[in-house]
Amino acid sequence: MNIEDAELIKDFVIESQEHLGDIEKDFLTMELQGAEIDLDLVNHVFRAIHSIKGAAGFLGLPVLESLAHREEEVLNKIRNREVIPTVEVVSTLLSATDGLKELLDCIEVSNDMDVSEKIAALDRILSGSSESNDTEAANPSDDSQRDNEQLVKESEATLDQATAAVETLVNEDSTPSPSDATASNDDTAPSPVATPAPKPTPKPTKQVEAAKSPSSLSSDSSPAETSIRVDVGLLDTLMNQVGELVLARNQMLQFAERFDDNEYNTTSQRLNLITSELQEGVMKTRMQPIGNVWSKFPRLVRDLAQICEKEVRIEMQGKETELDKTIIEAIKDPLTHLVRNTVDHGIESPDVREAYGKDREGCLMLRAFHEGGQVNIEICDDGAGLNVDRIRTKAIEKSVITEQQAQSMDEQEICNLIFAPGFSTAEKVSNVSGRGVGMDVVKTNIEKIGGTLDLESHSGLGTTVRIKIPLTLAIIPALLVKCAENRFAIPQVNLMELVRLEGEQATSKIDWIQNAPVYRLRGQLLPLVDLRNILGKAPKERADNVESEVINIVVLRADDQQFGLIVESINDTEEIVVKPLSAQIKELPVYSGATILGDGSVALILDVLGVAQRGRVLQSSGSRNPGSQDDSSNAEAERLQSLLVLGIGQKRQVAMHMSQVARLEQVPDHMIEEANGQSVIQYRGKILPLIDMASVLGVPRSRTVTPGDDGEASTELASELTNQVVVYSEDGRSFGLVVDRIIDIVEADIDLVESTSGNGLLGSAIIQDRVIDLLDLPTVIQSAGHRLA
Amino acid sequence: MKVLIVDDSRVIRNMIGRIMKTFGYETHEAGNGVEGLQQLAEIGVMDLILVDWNMPEMNGLEFIKAVRADSTHANTPMIMVTTESEMDRMALAFMAGVNEYIMKPFTEENIGSKMEILGIGTAV
Repeated sequence: MNIEDAELIKDFVIESQEHLGDIEKDFLTMELQGAEIDLDLVNHVFRAIHSIKGAAGFLGLPVLESLAHREEEVLNKIRNREVIPTVEVVSTLLSATDGLKELLDCIEVSNDMDVSEKIAALDRILSGSSESNDTEAANPSDDSQRDNEQLVKESEATLDQATAAVETLVNEDSTPSPSDATASNDDTAPSPVATPAPKPTPKPTKQVEAAKSPSSLSSDSSPAETSIRVDVGLLDTLMNQVGELVLARNQMLQFAERFDDNEYNTTSQRLNLITSELQEGVMKTRMQPIGNVWSKFPRLVRDLAQICEKEVRIEMQGKETELDKTIIEAIKDPLTHLVRNTVDHGIESPDVREAYGKDREGCLMLRAFHEGGQVNIEICDDGAGLNVDRIRTKAIEKSVITEQQAQSMDEQEICNLIFAPGFSTAEKVSNVSGRGVGMDVVKTNIEKIGGTLDLESHSGLGTTVRIKIPLTLAIIPALLVKCAENRFAIPQVNLMELVRLEGEQATSKIDWIQNAPVYRLRGQLLPLVDLRNILGKAPKERADNVESEVINIVVLRADDQQFGLIVESINDTEEIVVKPLSAQIKELPVYSGATILGDGSVALILDVLGVAQRGRVLQSSGSRNPGSQDDSSNAEAERLQSLLVLGIGQKRQVAMHMSQVARLEQVPDHMIEEANGQSVIQYRGKILPLIDMASVLGVPRSRTVTPGDDGEASTELASELTNQVVVYSEDGRSFGLVVDRIIDIVEADIDLVESTSGNGLLGSAIIQDRVIDLLDLPTVIQSAGHRLA
Repeated sequence: MKVLIVDDSRVIRNMIGRIMKTFGYETHEAGNGVEGLQQLAEIGVMDLILVDWNMPEMNGLEFIKAVRADSTHANTPMIMVTTESEMDRMALAFMAGVNEYIMKPFTEENIGSKMEILGIGTAV
């Protein structure tokens, strides 16, 4: 083998890994079908192994070749119906396939690795099939059981084995022929199972079947010719360049605004559109179906179930749901952990299940679907559900919560405690799921990529873990703020709301508790951090007169807790392209990245958790959770709903749930256009239909500055030239609700009196001493002549 | 001189292609029998065809039969490139119309001598 073959070997490893990647599920199908084999399927697997064997021979990889050869022989026997793919046989085949993968992973030393046990196991099948009632009949199952356990342990062992093999065999002939390799391996590492002495290299039994040519029956669903292979590095480069293009486009748009040249503006609009489409297209190239991650779960579940002596069936829905490659990578481990946990703890043993009148076989269901620009992943089981009492006891025992806190927590909250750091329910640490990495690591990893994790458990019926994650990490919506002459971007996933305190309020509304500033936000104490402090700048000088004093608070959420970040000014939200930080500032925990803004300047992206930790506003996990609620009891807080109160016409006030509000915008009259008989505006590159709430509710509009019933704030928001628009999104479609005033955000315990008129209202309730109607948005949109997609 | 290499493994096609290039051949590749026939239809008569046995879509045996059924390719030398597990089926291949067989893995010399047997030229 000469040097230029290094490239061939690399190519061989890639091709072989592709072959092996999708045959695991075929093995499992074979196992299910048992004696009723599907020839196409067996042929498919056979060809994969056969190709590896053929190429390995060329490349001088005898160990790999001999293992592939044995596996091929067994498959050939299955194909010829001489061997039935029983659980034991399939286990041995899977274990051999793992062996091939290991050899491919360290291809340079593969010739010195020891796979004699795996070869011996395959040989036993090969010899066993001809001398059916062998004394070794029991052995393969023991062996496969052990192989499974080995598989479930981390693969360190095999690496050690490899290194050891390199050491012991270093003086031996480096390129032995296939049979030599087997022989020498048998010599140096006499495997414990080899004691009943199976023939070390049984002659492949000759099959004379001139009449039958099984391979001629093959018809294969090979991937379509319309796809090509592209290096991920190239895609990353493309993504980066598109990012740059987006930035250049943003600069050009800002530039265009200053010119009144029609032709120039048209061209820049066109550039704008094309760039957006290109960006979307490149993003798509990085998308991968989540099935890529799931595909290894059937095997995992099967092996775990065997070890735990359970019967588990795995079902999948939405395999084709696509996610950015980096996110796929990031969720792989957390998902694996959750699946492991479900089989180990979630699903009961068959006998227990039967006693409860359930199927002996438990069901593990994986579901994935898109919803509102996010991907939802659910892991459901029909097992016993979480043992709330035990979790409560454990949590108190491990001082995750105090006994007092435990009493005020409902079942749901108790269940979520399993994600708290330092919590593990397993009475005994099994080698399946208890290995020191708790569920808190799963939660942290999901949150690291901007995702959330939620758990629902019903005693005796099962558990569902719900994960929501963003589609991509490369481009994110962010809020831009200014502080100490610098601009910073805050990822919108962390953003809860913005609070502006003016004049007198700026000093009176901020309390000090033990030298730490807090703001009382709707009865809840919100710890504050000044961004200037975090940046190491001197505190801002006080304004000369109280009137011009302004404090902007960005309410953020980190690690399930809220805090307020004081900034100098709040700019706008923007879709930003995330760039990694240079090595010099990478170590600073308060920044998570950088971006280039529309005007070409650079802004650092704040890492909200890092800022919170630096500002010491996070409570330790022990006293977290309901404790942060000020005075008000927990149950009451449960019933409180966040509502946005809107003014329509002279007096009318309506409210909608904050969760329904995507954004609040001020739209000047001249931006409103007509399309298809409707008022629309161009909004973030899309057409946003406007719905005039005054006409929906049948009240005359009152856009002129009215001394609102609620006093101060509302008056200045409504100016003659602009429209207040509430952007509402549902099922991927957005609408702009035109209202006259945006009055307040309130948290209220609503006692709804249901509406009888049905004209877009759910009903009325008393909120802050006023009767306010609650909007039924889908009906409002329908009555305005739109349809939700 | 043109050679068509029909094998479902990209790696093996590359390796054989490399050897054939040193012999001065212009190489054409196909991933299975169906693609092989398409190549023949597009490019025309070859000076040599190397074909694998085990392939998806259309295997080597079917491909050989299909090629021989077309009189344009009746005289094109064909070598079956295969691994030992199919050796016992070589009779079938010869019956189908293959001129020689060679076992994987092979070296430049191996294939050179087979080509000599068939009286196929090399540029070296």
